[in-house]
Amino acid sequence: MTGPFATAIIVASLLLCGWAVVLVIANRAPGRALLAAGAVLELLLVAFLVGGIVQMVGSERDFARAEFVGYLLACAAVIPVAAWWVRDEKSRAAAGVLAVVFLVLPVLVIRVQQVWAGSVG
Amino acid sequence: MADPQLPEAAASAPRPTGQGFGRVLVTVYGLFALAATARSVVQIATKFDEAPIAYLLSALAAVIYIVATVALARGDRTSRRVATVAITIELVGVLVVGLLSLAIPRDFPSASVWSGFGSGYGFIPLVLPFVGLWWLRRTR
Repeated sequence: MTGPFATAIIVASLLLCGWAVVLVIANRAPGRALLAAGAVLELLLVAFLVGGIVQMVGSERDFARAEFVGYLLACAAVIPVAAWWVRDEKSRAAAGVLAVVFLVLPVLVIRVQQVWAGSVG
Repeated sequence: MADPQLPEAAASAPRPTGQGFGRVLVTVYGLFALAATARSVVQIATKFDEAPIAYLLSALAAVIYIVATVALARGDRTSRRVATVAITIELVGVLVVGLLSLAIPRDFPSASVWSGFGSGYGFIPLVLPFVGLWWLRRTR
């Protein structure tokens, strides 16, 4: 769970966060390009969820499994929920919401890694 | 005579709290509702006996965040009142729990999002109620 895949998710999310912040500063709502990029990131997060559960099932180690799955589910849920929440928002606030979510995602991914390593819980 | 379509009527009605900047505010509240709820469920399910009062305060924080999130998102008159009460409790809660966690740290082993005035969450829990009350006043 600490491999290049998780790192790629963190980097991608921070890049999208920067993109969203630029839109907020430029006083613009997110366009199709950012939404498409967010959808790609969501695919990575769903793969992260599935891969994480597969690795967990295949592991004999003792760690906080419920919290692990909880963090993985949160990772996969935040982008769809945020997209639903801003569906009617035509102002830069929609970009602000996405900026918050793309900033929180790396934290969630790091928590997944910490729980996997057994240093939390 | 009282036509709800008249501009005066529209001007006297409060602006919705869940639009514009409110979208971002509700998002942050929603994330804290999620974080506080998950944390509280784990605490109560796995180690409630260690610090029952701290964990009950943790559960209270979770409920307050959920109520504030929903009320701010809805934004009608009743919801504004509910949000004002919830966020006021939140403000008192983060200040009291923050002080208690520093005064008697033994009973607050980083037990809630409010411990140390929310230091584990970048002090956002301390700032959030002020922003929430400001936003309710601003949209009145």
